[in-house]
Amino acid sequence: MVHYLIRRLLLGIFTLLLITFVVYALIRHMPGTPLTTDPAMMNPSRMPSPEDIERRAKLYGLDKPWHIAYFIWLGNTLQGDLGNSIPKNNAPVTRLIAERVPATLMLSVTSLLLTYLLSIPIGLWATVKSGSFAERVVSTALYMLYSMPAFVAALYLQLLFYSRLGWLPLFGMRSDNYETLSASAQLWDLFKHALLPVICFTYGSLAYYSRFIYANMQETVRQDYVRTARAKGVPPARVIWHHAFRNTLIPLVTLMGLTLPSLLGGAVILEQIFSWPGMGRLYFEAIGQRDYETIMGLTLMFSILTLGGQLLADVLYAIVDPRVTYN
Amino acid sequence: MLPAPDTIETTRPIDQSPGFWRDAWRHFRRRKLSMIALCYVVFLCLVALFAPLIAGTKPIVCKYKGQIYFPFMGYYLRTWENPVFFQDRFRGEYPKPLAEKDPESWAIWPLVYQDPYRRIRENEWPGRAGNPVSIEGKPSSLNWLGTNQQGFDVFAQMVHGTQIALSVGFMSMGIAAAIGICFGALAGYFGGWIDTILSRVIELVMCIPTLVLILALVALLNKVSNYHLMVIVGITGWTGIARLTRAEFLKLKQMEFVTAARAMGAGWPRIMFRHVLRNALAPVLVPITFGIADAILIESGLSYLGFGASPPNPSWGTLLHSGRSAIEEMWWLILFPGLAIFFTVLAYNLIGEGLQEATDPRLRQAAH
Repeated sequence: MVHYLIRRLLLGIFTLLLITFVVYALIRHMPGTPLTTDPAMMNPSRMPSPEDIERRAKLYGLDKPWHIAYFIWLGNTLQGDLGNSIPKNNAPVTRLIAERVPATLMLSVTSLLLTYLLSIPIGLWATVKSGSFAERVVSTALYMLYSMPAFVAALYLQLLFYSRLGWLPLFGMRSDNYETLSASAQLWDLFKHALLPVICFTYGSLAYYSRFIYANMQETVRQDYVRTARAKGVPPARVIWHHAFRNTLIPLVTLMGLTLPSLLGGAVILEQIFSWPGMGRLYFEAIGQRDYETIMGLTLMFSILTLGGQLLADVLYAIVDPRVTYN
Repeated sequence: MLPAPDTIETTRPIDQSPGFWRDAWRHFRRRKLSMIALCYVVFLCLVALFAPLIAGTKPIVCKYKGQIYFPFMGYYLRTWENPVFFQDRFRGEYPKPLAEKDPESWAIWPLVYQDPYRRIRENEWPGRAGNPVSIEGKPSSLNWLGTNQQGFDVFAQMVHGTQIALSVGFMSMGIAAAIGICFGALAGYFGGWIDTILSRVIELVMCIPTLVLILALVALLNKVSNYHLMVIVGITGWTGIARLTRAEFLKLKQMEFVTAARAMGAGWPRIMFRHVLRNALAPVLVPITFGIADAILIESGLSYLGFGASPPNPSWGTLLHSGRSAIEEMWWLILFPGLAIFFTVLAYNLIGEGLQEATDPRLRQAAH
């Protein structure tokens, strides 16, 4: 196992180097630089002279060819310095990312908890009621939900709850008068703003997980040991929960490892729709402003999470299922 | 009861057992929802193919100055519109000039006289009101699904947008399938260091967040067209196919028929593509179908974010994009294209699921 872990880690570091190299090459070839896409420069009266741009490019190291700049970036990163964002007033990238983490976590953790809390009961209920009319209705509805693109759902919800009913705000995380509200009112305000994004984050994975649990349970309840348990008079609820569900946990656990990156990655499109000040939106802004350092910082973080999630899934798999060994 | 001896002689030898695909089709047909989904996709293909006949402002057939013309072809490719209409200064509007310049002329018009690329002006079609603009453009008898901010007809845009959605889906997955099958086949068939390298490449592309890759690639281009999008979605979406193909090849290359083919002196490309791939095709088809749904989603999502093809581009996502800025008034810009995207994605998912069940003998048995 240790041998396997070391091999995976070494491979992971190699993959990480390749990813950052490819992404750096890509973003440095996008037209424009952080200096030329600054909106202040679009104003002709404040247009800096070419010499000025050149001077600033030199200051930020933008005059160097991209492959050299990559290794400078890599060196700094290895020393724990992700650099400063040029368009965002030279703020350190680590601080920019840290500022956005809570907003994204608020959505993703809530949505993850909701997904597990709801999908397990739904999946088990569907197993028990398998084949009945109610189960088929619920399963069909879940399937439709699963196929519903999140950005379409977001727009429909906004259309209904904002423009038709006027119950919920359109986007953002806080109202303009947030500071003046009392603590409970602040919480209520946050809840109202977060409700639609959380729904949009949740329903897709909820449908997916419920179907996943149901499909796995369908296989498990046909096994001989479940029949044996039934035959010896174990109560039906205990058969489902104790004998059958426990054995469907294995694929569920690996799925959990794979959701790790989405926990912090957020959803770029959804955060954009709801103007939610999270990581996805930061990434989107960074692309538009050619903010190389921020893009690289976020890419590095997403990639580490993705690779780590895969590793975690494989390790968890071996822990949960004693039959699996990595040697 | 046993048949009389003379009938035995006249019956043909035992029918050949049904082939794999025929059998799969038989199973697929049993799934009602998948069949409905398939019919829907076929319907969409027809809509896409005949979009200019359904909604357009150019006559399907017209007789002008003694000649028969087919001006609607201009919707497929600009140069296919007959040059005589440019010379006679029609400026893209047919009804009036046609009657004025040649009283003898006649024309057969598309079902709906609306254009996805421009607004219909008043009296352009004699006695017909012009398209309303912005919040006045509610669905009406002239504009079935309303109009957008500039007065373009939403129905016409959606009909022509079907072409984009379907072609992006098919083309990008065609590219992805070509790359994925080649990578997976080479890695799985040869194994060893080729497999190690190719697997690293697959892992690399998988680990770069798709949207990062797509946004970066889109940003590289100055003017994005739908062809660019097809290529971009294609070269980012092949990893799942490659992994599945590789797994299938790993399994199949141990089979006796491969050894037999090798013994008969077949070269590796022949064994790979003629013998192994044929048997691996069914499981690989499933992620391709799901991939088409994904590609349509990505295209409409990008257009929605404003990163899609440059205007004029009557994509469903572009309609959503224009609807978002007017969410308080113009609900019709969101409701109808949203439904179109939803049903199309749903249909491809249902077809994919049906395929999965029809081609996988294990699942087939579980279903009974």
